[in-house]
Amino acid sequence: MPNFLSNRTSEAEVADATLVAEAQAGDRRAFSALVSRHQALVFRVCYRILGNDDDAADAMQEAFIRAYRRLDSFRGQSAFKTWLMRLTVNVSLNERERQKPTVPIDEFHLATVNDPLTELERAEVMMQIHQSLQQLPANHRAAVVLRDLEGFSYAETAAALGVPEGTAKGWVHRGRVGLKDLLT
Amino acid sequence: MSLVDTFVEQIPAYVADELDAVARRQVEEALVSSAALRGELEQYQRLFVLLTALAEEDVSLSTAAERRLMRHLAFTWYLGSAARMVEGLFGAYGRAILHYVGGVR
Repeated sequence: MPNFLSNRTSEAEVADATLVAEAQAGDRRAFSALVSRHQALVFRVCYRILGNDDDAADAMQEAFIRAYRRLDSFRGQSAFKTWLMRLTVNVSLNERERQKPTVPIDEFHLATVNDPLTELERAEVMMQIHQSLQQLPANHRAAVVLRDLEGFSYAETAAALGVPEGTAKGWVHRGRVGLKDLLT
Repeated sequence: MSLVDTFVEQIPAYVADELDAVARRQVEEALVSSAALRGELEQYQRLFVLLTALAEEDVSLSTAAERRLMRHLAFTWYLGSAARMVEGLFGAYGRAILHYVGGVR
């Protein structure tokens, strides 16, 4: 059976590589296109590591500025998305380090629509798991965000975290155990 | 080492469908004979339901933040272009001044 997901990923990587080459040659629109392609993912990862909207927007901006400034050093040894994720995770963890230990959870994204009761219950559950996620050690949280929320492979998670695959697996495992303990 | 100790570490990977066939079968055999392991399994199944729901949660960037990002990137880009132009005219000294003033690439 053909692997459609892999094909799509591969096509996206090829398209990214083309845009990166154009951006490296000085085409600003190509870099803007890269930003447009990846800003939703970058923002989600920042938001889930940092736990609130404003810090996530700031971290996302810093991640893209760093990506722009370091674009010449990108040699295509990994996918652009993985390289960008590494910058994003680094920026988010540094920002997190700078912050106080507990961060208020932004309720903006838990806004209710449609059926009020169902949505309210859902919002409460989401709030609970958000808060539990924020209580994990930063590296465990980042690993769970990439692996279990964004669906990265362990190899991609390891590359984005800048650690060996075995370490990434250990962090994901400990993050899951931590979440399970916090939620039960 | 008890059955629970031996297999409890593998339960999250089992629920996430990350085990190979042999390890999966071993966990399933252990689950049949251990209520404690089945309890762990239920807790991780609930966790993964919650994680799936969280992954599907709409986390979107506000239009204002998106505009701010694009403005900031455009500014950085133009500053970088200006630095290259100034460097062309005044050499590394001109670039150093721009670097000092605006942190250009």
